[in-house]
Amino acid sequence: MRREFDEQLELLNKELITMGAFCENAIAMSAKALTEGKPELAEHVPDLSVQIDHKEREIETMCLKLLLQRQPVAKDLRIVSSALKMVTDMARIGDQSADIAEIITLANIHADDDTQIIHDMSVAVIKMVTDSIDAFVKKDMKMAKAVIEYDDIVDSFFDKVKKILINLFSKPEADGEYAIDLLMIAKYFERIGDHAVNIAKWVLFSITGNKEG
Amino acid sequence: MTKRIFRSICLVALVVFFSCVILFMGVLYEYFSNVEHAQLAMQTDLAAQGVRNEGIGYFDDLSIADYRITWIDTDGHVIYDSESDTANMENHLEREEVQEALLAGYGESERYSVTLMERALYSARKLDDGSVLRLSISQKSILTLLLGMVQPVCMIFGIALVLSVVLAIRVSKKIVEPINEIDLDDPLSNEGYDELSPFLRRIDSQRKQLHKQETRLLQKENELNTIIDSMNEGMVLLNPQGKIISINPAARKLLDAGENCAGMDMLSLCRNLDLQEILGDALKGERGERTILLHGESYQIDANPITSENLVKGAALFFFNITEKEKSEQIRREFTANVSHELKTPLHTISGYAELLKDNMVKENDRMPFAGKIYNETQRMIRLVEDIISLSRLDEGAADMKREDIELYGLALKAVQSLETEAEAAGVTLTLSGTAVTLNGISQLLYSVIYNLCDNAIKYNQEHGKVTVTVRREESAAVLTVEDTGIGIAPEHQERIFERFYRVDKSRSKAVGGTGLGLSIVKHAAKIHHARIEVNSSVGKGTIVIVRFPITKENKG
Repeated sequence: MRREFDEQLELLNKELITMGAFCENAIAMSAKALTEGKPELAEHVPDLSVQIDHKEREIETMCLKLLLQRQPVAKDLRIVSSALKMVTDMARIGDQSADIAEIITLANIHADDDTQIIHDMSVAVIKMVTDSIDAFVKKDMKMAKAVIEYDDIVDSFFDKVKKILINLFSKPEADGEYAIDLLMIAKYFERIGDHAVNIAKWVLFSITGNKEG
Repeated sequence: MTKRIFRSICLVALVVFFSCVILFMGVLYEYFSNVEHAQLAMQTDLAAQGVRNEGIGYFDDLSIADYRITWIDTDGHVIYDSESDTANMENHLEREEVQEALLAGYGESERYSVTLMERALYSARKLDDGSVLRLSISQKSILTLLLGMVQPVCMIFGIALVLSVVLAIRVSKKIVEPINEIDLDDPLSNEGYDELSPFLRRIDSQRKQLHKQETRLLQKENELNTIIDSMNEGMVLLNPQGKIISINPAARKLLDAGENCAGMDMLSLCRNLDLQEILGDALKGERGERTILLHGESYQIDANPITSENLVKGAALFFFNITEKEKSEQIRREFTANVSHELKTPLHTISGYAELLKDNMVKENDRMPFAGKIYNETQRMIRLVEDIISLSRLDEGAADMKREDIELYGLALKAVQSLETEAEAAGVTLTLSGTAVTLNGISQLLYSVIYNLCDNAIKYNQEHGKVTVTVRREESAAVLTVEDTGIGIAPEHQERIFERFYRVDKSRSKAVGGTGLGLSIVKHAAKIHHARIEVNSSVGKGTIVIVRFPITKENKG
């Protein structure tokens, strides 16, 4: 009985990691399309986002089944409930990656000095997502905490982008569409960072049982 | 075992007991029968005496319980019987003992009475008046006697059973005890009873054999592990559930895995979706191959299913680092592109000039320079093709070239002499100094090393510059030094000048000519002679190239 339950938990774990890998891929593809100036790379991201949504449904069903049939307690309950919450954040990461990809395919973004900062920001965000999933895989509290702290860096990137754009608008020859797209992308990246923080928090919760913040 | 011992003991006890009973009964019965016979005869005689003396009156005061007395007259009628009424008794004349007595005066017989399970003994004596007196005694049969002894026999039987049980338990314990206490690690040191020693010896030999097999197995495993551990390629073995069974150090390093990652899911080590895909396929029984990026290097990953009896028992993943391979492929592609480009440029020039000449659009005075230009370009192409040919031969390892003893100074002299005109044209003084050094090598290659180095030293020199070639011997090496006072090579280029078609200053190449393959040839030729090349250069001051040919067995002169 217990063994069967353990197997189901393991399967859940595996599915979550796979979903994490999908998210990493989605955001990495969007970022690559952006920084290398190849909008065609972004075309696959919406497909990936759909896959991520499917995974989300699958994992949700799995969690609900586990809750209903096994009625887990203590640590098992924390694992299942945090998984249930984590998939929502992961799915949001996938959606926002797809949103970024969509903006890129509109091809208003052209390689510029401004995209350099977006590139740096994407590197930071990808690191956050990867680390948050790594923290989940390795059940590493230290790593999870590091991800939460790293969010400040991503936030500061967003502020920098904002300042650049304010400067851009003050010029008479400003390209409004370009500026707004850039702002949106920066905002999406910033949101993805927040979701990575949420994942890290749920990892902490599943280990310690304390939900902070 | 206890049961069997018990059974044997029991059987032996019973057999002995019953045979004893039968023997004693037989012997004793015989003996007592004889005694009884004698007594009966005596009693008969006594009774006969009494009847003779007293007549029928003898019976009146006769009180004998044990015997039955019968008096029979000559006709066989019973006159007296101590137990039955005479009137009802039949004629006794035909009785065996009576007949015998009538004939011989004394007769005996015995008869069984089945109903009473008794034997009756009869003895008869003929009296003087012709009548017969018969005495009989009943004797109990053996069976009756035995039946009478049932109780004690049963008791003895019971005692035998109990004793057998106790003995059997004790004996079996005694047998088993030393066996249970055998020290299996050193069977021969045990002190059991003698019967155990063949058993112990066999255990000992078995143990030795096992030990030998174990050692061999361990050795094999160690060998295999050493091979797998020292493999540069990463190897991961997985069970059908995708869990890691074993992982070698190379793969562990590659995947940032800890020491105890056996039993972990492959997914927790590497989330690469391509890898997961081919792993999934491999676990379904299909082999797959992918190239993925890990830590900035390209890895080719082979996923092979491990099958036995058509069932997938797991999968093996191999990681090959193909960064170098890809790089060399890249270099080769670049080389091909370069060669085509280098060949195309002179061809275009030639074609252009030739077209003008063909269409007669060239003035008479210009014909000669045009032909000269065509000639120069073809010469350049020939040089290029020659260089490419020699390079490709060097790539093959110059296997078909002959090694011989070569005097390096003489060779350098030849090269210097052939370059004198060019040196003069460039306004460069070319000098050669040093001593004769002999080494074993390939003359053609050594010549091209000296020639190309000197050629470069002249080409990339300044007006009134100097080129000094020195040949000398240093311990176990022949050293060739080419020193110039030329433009020098910047440090960032020094690494790359030996690459094919690499030019420090691309705009200059056209002016100085050359194919861009010279130093490449030098590098390969030096490699074939196991020589080391050292480049010391500073921009604007000049360059010193030192080539050290080791005079080892192979290069020895």
